[in-house]
Amino acid sequence: MVKSYAWGLSENNTLYVRAGDNPCFEHIPRGAHLHILKFFKTIFMPSVNKIDDICHLFGCDRHLTNLGMEHLNTHKLSCRTSPLVVTALKKTYAKVTALNDVSFSLDGSGVTAILGPNGAGKTTLINCVLGLVKKDSGDISVFGHEPGQMKARRRVGVMLQDTDLPDLLTGRELLALFASYYPSSLDIEDVISLTDTASFIGKRYKKLSGGQKRRVQFALAIIGNPDVLFLDEPTTGLDTDARKALWDIVRAFVAQGKTIVLTTHYLEEADALADRIIVIGNGKIIADASADDIRNRMSGSVIRCQTRLSASALAKLDGYLDTDKVGRFTDIRTQDSAATLRQLLAQDDTLSDLTISRPRLEDAFSELTSDDA
Amino acid sequence: MMLRSLLIETGAEILKVVRAPEYIIPTLLFPVAFYSMFGVVLAGSSNNAGYLLATYGIFAVMGPAIFGFGVSTATEREKGWLTLKRAAPSPAVNYIAAKVITTVIFAAMALALLYIVGGFVGGMKLPRQTWALLLLTHLLAVLPFILIGLTLGFLLNTNAAVAFANIVFMGLAVLGGLWIPIFVFPELMQTIAKFLPTYHLGEIALAVSGQSAAPGQEEREVGGHLAMVINMTIGLAALTIFAWTRQRN
Repeated sequence: MVKSYAWGLSENNTLYVRAGDNPCFEHIPRGAHLHILKFFKTIFMPSVNKIDDICHLFGCDRHLTNLGMEHLNTHKLSCRTSPLVVTALKKTYAKVTALNDVSFSLDGSGVTAILGPNGAGKTTLINCVLGLVKKDSGDISVFGHEPGQMKARRRVGVMLQDTDLPDLLTGRELLALFASYYPSSLDIEDVISLTDTASFIGKRYKKLSGGQKRRVQFALAIIGNPDVLFLDEPTTGLDTDARKALWDIVRAFVAQGKTIVLTTHYLEEADALADRIIVIGNGKIIADASADDIRNRMSGSVIRCQTRLSASALAKLDGYLDTDKVGRFTDIRTQDSAATLRQLLAQDDTLSDLTISRPRLEDAFSELTSDDA
Repeated sequence: MMLRSLLIETGAEILKVVRAPEYIIPTLLFPVAFYSMFGVVLAGSSNNAGYLLATYGIFAVMGPAIFGFGVSTATEREKGWLTLKRAAPSPAVNYIAAKVITTVIFAAMALALLYIVGGFVGGMKLPRQTWALLLLTHLLAVLPFILIGLTLGFLLNTNAAVAFANIVFMGLAVLGGLWIPIFVFPELMQTIAKFLPTYHLGEIALAVSGQSAAPGQEEREVGGHLAMVINMTIGLAALTIFAWTRQRN
């Protein structure tokens, strides 16, 4: 079985195929397409019938030309195993750039939070990936398919922002309807118990509270047993209890080894749920790291006080990382709060209003987004 | 799987209609009430009952089609339900087909009421094949109105769709001569009627139910009217496809 391999079409319409770790680089003239298709069919995917299928499989454009060896290598197998590969995605509305050169891919299970302020491009990104909005340029591959293709839609569950279901149908009727769209949907009763909706699933949608409506929407998103679940701002407008209840359900779903992408502008939500956080601002990815990494970037402690020491004097303190002026207070971030404090107290006898705290993810977040501005 | 999904989708559509009795009951009763009034009670002669049954049959199927498609599609589009379905593996053709089936079911109910009044109270007597052919004509007439409804639903928000559906509904019915025979209209209005699907559908239904032309009028040419209806339906289909593509982006 060939484990890794790469391909591309050159300008003179030659298909390049490189199989395995064998450095040999085969030039196959276009006339030999049948041969290549057979190769793809047997080694790779029985469903491949034409060159375009291969393009879809790899989320590549047929006219992806001028490919050097290095570029080809980046296109190897990862596309097939990964639920989502986004490459150099661009989207502009009228003259506003909503997404600019966004690239990332998902591998493995867990929750990826796409975090950013309103208008950062989060929803546009989700809509492009779902095929609801046409991208301007770049590549998106959802399990090797173009976004919006039936094959991609069957493997994806969705909870959209600002969406309401038909008022006059009950949750159970909606679940039965959505279940009928998928080839291997989950058992309706199982989904009801997982989402803890049993007490109101028989009521008409119109009669439900905001939190209950979201839970029914979540149930609808998972009824098709999706391999990847997209949640666009799932808890916007919910009160704290309803939000926490939805988080619990998300966690229960992730515990089954599922992949979730959620967008949110609540830092708290990303903090509570995400294994990986992609921070997006002004249509660009500003940071992409594990949630722990982002927290660690703000490691140490924050000493808040009123001090008369100058910035340069503060910078000489032991364990000093950085400072920030907040009104009449100075925040000093430090690796070693005890050592810094000892010196601080020794050098400034007017020091007052002293507090020490752990840095919050929010601080990391605001720092990351302000870097970009 | 496709068929099962279509059945469930159709069931859901029927439930939505049945659970909004404040909408469906007037839609079903309005045509038969008007027909009883103008075709039976006030008319007296049974010929009027026969003439108006043909045209009121067209009127009866307009309501479920224009309001059912126009208003419900506008509402569901506005709520994002259509977008959610587009993200899910739900074929658009299922949604439309389920709505068409539901519309035909409720159009048939409106027609049944009309035929009962026409037959038993109005004393309409037609051979069985003629009844069947008339029913078929009336049911097929939903098609252009469904396309009008869909276009409104794709282009307008709910409030505007309700307003426009009312205008279109009344306008097409009155100007197309469904309420009052076209030949009593002034000449200008007779000319306008020739551009409306309701007029041509009414003429086909009249011919099918064996109504001879009024004195001084030319005999009806079913072929010509049918050609007009088909052309208009194709035109409306193009408009619907335009509206459909527009709402997706």
